[in-house]
Amino acid sequence: MGGSASPAAPGATSAVATSILLQLGGAALLYAILKAEQGWQVLTLLGLLGFGFYLLERFPWLSDFATESLARVPVVTAATAAVIVLGFPFVVGSNTYILHLLIVAQLYAVLALALNFQLGSANIPNFATGASYGIGAYVSALLALNFGVSFWLTLPIAALAATLFGFIIGIPSMRTRDTYLALVTIAFGVVVHQLLNNFDWTGGPNGLVGIPAPSLFGHSFADPLNVFGWKLPSQANFYYLAAALVVLAIVTANRLHNSRIGLAWNALRADEIAAKAQGINVAWYKVLAFAVDAFLAAFAGTIYAFYVSYISPDNFTFLVSVTIMTMVIVGGMDNIFGVIVGAFLLTILPEKLRAFSDYRLLFFGIVIILFLMIRPQGLFPQRLRQYGGRK
Amino acid sequence: MSALLEVENVTMRFGGLVAVDDISFSLDRGTVLAVIGPNGAGKSTLFNVITGVYTPTAGRVKFDGADITGTPSYEVVQRGIARTFQSSRLFSDLSVLDNVIIGMHTRTKAGVLDVLFRPGIARREMAACVEKAEALLRASSGDLYEQRYRPAGTLAQADRRRLEIARALASQPKLILLDEPSAGMDDAETDALVADIMRLRTEHPELSVILIEHDMRVVQAFPERVMCIDYGRRIAEGSFEAVRSNPRVQEAYLGAAAAHA
Repeated sequence: MGGSASPAAPGATSAVATSILLQLGGAALLYAILKAEQGWQVLTLLGLLGFGFYLLERFPWLSDFATESLARVPVVTAATAAVIVLGFPFVVGSNTYILHLLIVAQLYAVLALALNFQLGSANIPNFATGASYGIGAYVSALLALNFGVSFWLTLPIAALAATLFGFIIGIPSMRTRDTYLALVTIAFGVVVHQLLNNFDWTGGPNGLVGIPAPSLFGHSFADPLNVFGWKLPSQANFYYLAAALVVLAIVTANRLHNSRIGLAWNALRADEIAAKAQGINVAWYKVLAFAVDAFLAAFAGTIYAFYVSYISPDNFTFLVSVTIMTMVIVGGMDNIFGVIVGAFLLTILPEKLRAFSDYRLLFFGIVIILFLMIRPQGLFPQRLRQYGGRK
Repeated sequence: MSALLEVENVTMRFGGLVAVDDISFSLDRGTVLAVIGPNGAGKSTLFNVITGVYTPTAGRVKFDGADITGTPSYEVVQRGIARTFQSSRLFSDLSVLDNVIIGMHTRTKAGVLDVLFRPGIARREMAACVEKAEALLRASSGDLYEQRYRPAGTLAQADRRRLEIARALASQPKLILLDEPSAGMDDAETDALVADIMRLRTEHPELSVILIEHDMRVVQAFPERVMCIDYGRRIAEGSFEAVRSNPRVQEAYLGAAAAHA
């Protein structure tokens, strides 16, 4: 093997077993956390999770082995993931609250993946992801309400509108760096929020109401979903829609990460002057990161708007941007899987800590700090790229 | 055939400070120019002007028949000038291999749309890059190839220099600027570096090299043409022997008293 010392590469059989068991185990843990009601149940599960992360930190070869196993049998890994994602609503059954949490978690996963292009890959602290999310939601909602445009058509239009917005913030931002860049994006985020709050045509603080449910092949997403006699609540429609978006975001992120574009972003994260000396047009790649971020965030915004059917400026505040940023940092910068875990954890945890009522947010903060003490680089830190020839 | 690089009356001022003062020189294909001079003489500034980091206050830089004065540095790389830095600037959290692949940025084409919608093309291009990068690492002295999956930040100093040179070569330059490549190397490593540069010249006879050096053993190895800069001005140019015996050079290095002693 190359640099890091790790035990022998997993054989095919053990790779298949590891891939299936790991994913089933992960799904079971997620299910258990979602089902936990009592404070002690939640704490036990968090303890278990913390112990798992402790083991990962203590024995780095564990994550090497797991990653290599999953990568060794990509078809098995993808098939298992597909079965789990498709089957999850059947296990959850009619519990609409859990489905709701999963939809929101998936949308946040997309937002976190979007921000990861900037924060994780290129170290651009963009606090305006919430604004791109909002622009996506408002553009599609306005199109649907005023012009009766179908959901499927609003998706690309909203994404293009938000990408344009991404370029607009990107161009002045690239003249600044670090702290100043963060301030510019915060200002943009606040401006967008205030505009949404003050325009008449966006409904002002009341927002937009009555966004129609999308439909596909005559099936309205407001109706329960019937699959071979199984009846799933209407939320399941949006669950699958959000899952499809997560897959799209993962494929996008993966392709960009493993291309010269991802490398260029990483280069300017490490050393901007050296990046220029390699012929990288730093300004263009920064603006590009803004555009990709806005593009994906707008998809999430559109689905959110049609899912809750009611949006107001308060859904897209500065705090939303900060939450997304925390997801990326806690989950692991520039690690696709880590960012998704971060998004799920930070969406679900505050809900599960309701058992502690008034102390909920205090507990939430403590848990996050403890996790970061165990895994200072994020739950799943960035990994070096592996190319085919590594043997 | 005209010269590869022509620097004409270049002056670079920072406020009241004249870092480079009316310097002219030209360089033919396949030749080596060593630039020496005391610290702060303006050698690195000259590199920064040539590579487009700074736009000179006055004067022109011509490369390969085109005027590149004030061209952004990323386009200068595209035209065929690669450089290394005095304090090696590697992408420390990326692997050795990735560092070299990033060096090929200007020689690869896949754009966002290709990457997203024509993944096969992007993947093939990347695979070709990996192959080329591995070949460059194998060709480098030392065991960079064996260390290709290490984060570049964990390399030893001599390996960091070698990697910087490999990364610069990855852009298929016509001219390579080496800014104090021997800094932080011991005698054995310096000898290996000299051997590396010599081998580079035999393997790429068309490649021109400009070398900033303090270590006279390195300069001595490339004695054909040496230029000495002091206070931003060119004070001597010629063969190593001629420059070394030039009284102004001795004055610049040893101080006036020592030179007259």
